[in-house]
Amino acid sequence: MTVPMPELPFDRVWLPYLYLYGVGGILFLGGLYLVLRSGALDLKRQSHRRWLGVLVFGLFWYMGIHLAGTLAALPTT
Amino acid sequence: MSLLSLLLQEGADPASAAAMDAAAEAGSSSIFWMIVIGYFITVLGFGAYFARFNRNTSDFFFGGRRFSWWLITMSIVATGVGSHSFLKYSSKGFEHGFSSSMTYMNDWFFMPLFMFGWLPIIYYMRVRSIPEYFERRFNRGVRVLATASLLLFMLGYIGIGFVTMAKTLLPIIEPHLGWSLMTITWVVAIVAGVYITFGGQTAVIFTDLLQGFVLLFAGVMLFLLGLGYVGGFDAFWNILPAEFKLPLANFNDDPSFNFVGIFWQDAVAGSVGFLFMNQGLIMRFMACKSVQDGRKAAAFNVLLALPISAIAVSNAGWIGRAISSTNPEILPPDTVSDEVFVRVTALLTSPAGFGFFVAAVTAALMSTVDTLINAVAAVTINDIYRPWCKATGRKPTEKADLRMAMIVSAGATLVGVLAAWGFSQFDSLYEAHGFFQSTLTPPLVAAIMLAIFWKRFTAAGAVATFLAGGVMIVLGNQFPEMLVSPFSHGIVLEEGGSYKYIGALFNLVACFGSGIVVSLFTQRHASEDLQGLTLWTLKDARSMFKGGKPNDKVGFRQMVTWEVNPELPEGTVQLDTETLHHMAAEDGDLVYVCDRRKWLGGLRSAHAKIDGTHGLGETVILATDVADNGHFLPGQMVTIEKEF
Repeated sequence: MTVPMPELPFDRVWLPYLYLYGVGGILFLGGLYLVLRSGALDLKRQSHRRWLGVLVFGLFWYMGIHLAGTLAALPTT
Repeated sequence: MSLLSLLLQEGADPASAAAMDAAAEAGSSSIFWMIVIGYFITVLGFGAYFARFNRNTSDFFFGGRRFSWWLITMSIVATGVGSHSFLKYSSKGFEHGFSSSMTYMNDWFFMPLFMFGWLPIIYYMRVRSIPEYFERRFNRGVRVLATASLLLFMLGYIGIGFVTMAKTLLPIIEPHLGWSLMTITWVVAIVAGVYITFGGQTAVIFTDLLQGFVLLFAGVMLFLLGLGYVGGFDAFWNILPAEFKLPLANFNDDPSFNFVGIFWQDAVAGSVGFLFMNQGLIMRFMACKSVQDGRKAAAFNVLLALPISAIAVSNAGWIGRAISSTNPEILPPDTVSDEVFVRVTALLTSPAGFGFFVAAVTAALMSTVDTLINAVAAVTINDIYRPWCKATGRKPTEKADLRMAMIVSAGATLVGVLAAWGFSQFDSLYEAHGFFQSTLTPPLVAAIMLAIFWKRFTAAGAVATFLAGGVMIVLGNQFPEMLVSPFSHGIVLEEGGSYKYIGALFNLVACFGSGIVVSLFTQRHASEDLQGLTLWTLKDARSMFKGGKPNDKVGFRQMVTWEVNPELPEGTVQLDTETLHHMAAEDGDLVYVCDRRKWLGGLRSAHAKIDGTHGLGETVILATDVADNGHFLPGQMVTIEKEF
């Protein structure tokens, strides 16, 4: 089994990732809060509950893609 | 000879097929030009066929609000890929690696606001253009400011499209015909202008459907060819250094390409710009048969199509870097980055294959430009021409509107060529686009976001967003060290004293700040003036769209035969009581009638209102105009479903 051994500094590898999903996550959750609070995304409706699932899935989907890409790029020993 | 072997480089000796010459050599091949011309004739023919479905300006601009989500998704792919272009991302992929894909992979953050805020507002309120929204939300003055900003934005985008197409063709054409970049720009502009002038939105949607598939296929095929060329995926992977393979760029080290600058320029200003204020894209969503289909198109595009597109548009740069690392005599490391896509493609393919790739990319760019030209025409007709007619007491006919739309399309093409000259002065397309986006989008982005999501935002605040925000942007460009540096996240000023991408953050703060401060000191709008126009008053929008209380009872789509009754009022249909019962529909509900063949994507379909029942069994009786708009074929059954 090979273990990822990052030779690149933390701020090169992980800082962009944390910033992307930290600041981007705030924007996403802020938007989600607004549409829920306003009733535009109405959880009483079945189709809207499905859409909430899609929205949350989408965030984790991209987090996963970037995480996998970063781990794959790191040199292994 | 198989199609594949025709497209691939057969028995090429890499040493003799140096990329610097391959593109020019292809330009002298007759099969190359046959493929290019054949592709364009096919696409133009495809568009001309579907242009027959335009009956009025609603069809010309919005495709009659009839199409299925999958058709709109692929159409958006062609527009997105075209506008973000193979050239631009291959260039950055060659220089910086996999992080060239960043801009395709950061659009999800604003999806809740788009899907459940902006999309239902524009759809249900039947907003035909962004400036029209501003007049309904504020007043005529704000509409004028929004019109000017939007036209500037779209004409600039058209210019970028033209210069990108010209740069694609330059290495191929220039050695043989001696044409300059601007000469090529003129030629592609004339072809694009002629096409859109006669095609309209339906033609663009359908040609984009074709091209969406072709582009993704071409991009993925190029990657596979490249992997084969360098010795397989393992060889490709091992040639490239770790930093090159990271999916996100350095945080702030390189002023010409850094993560944090691109985050604010693209993930924030660019994403909102693309989703919320790109009139061309909005017209695509307006062409969807329903808000639900618009949401599906948006989700499918961002979740699946964009990651594939990211690989499709960037991989020529990645493959190019792998080739230049192992064989610098074939592709020198100092190759002009904007030429990497063309040179790598020429190296990997035969003249026929190269012709296919060049034609596909150029045609996609043409789609993007055509979408924007169509959007400029829509805004000009809706926000300048019609208000002018109203003010002067004229009553233009549909025919006069269409003629004016064609004249405006031709004018927009001309202005786009002039803008192309300005963008050709930048070091690379990526930088030209980055500067353009970070400078021009923030006022509209801030105004749209505040208008939709903040009820307290006032007309004076909107004016301040455009004017005071605009002044601050100019000052930021003049005095970046004083004004932009506090937002720079440690990025150093470039030579010449400017920030390329992070300037977007300052510009956004300036525009949002101006709008918020002025709104807090001016009188708020009455709630009844905001019905359906903000996130907080969206519930009214569905009622206003229907003209009555929405019927949310869950029903089922029904398949029926159809007949025409010329005596029915315009825009109405009649059904039998049993079909109504299965649909859970009532008199006055809105319905969508569609040819039963799903693969048509709604091309033959129409919206209507139920106006009474009949006793003729499972048949829908259509008013004459509904049958005409739907382009239904005699003998073909149709499906009918309730809109809410």
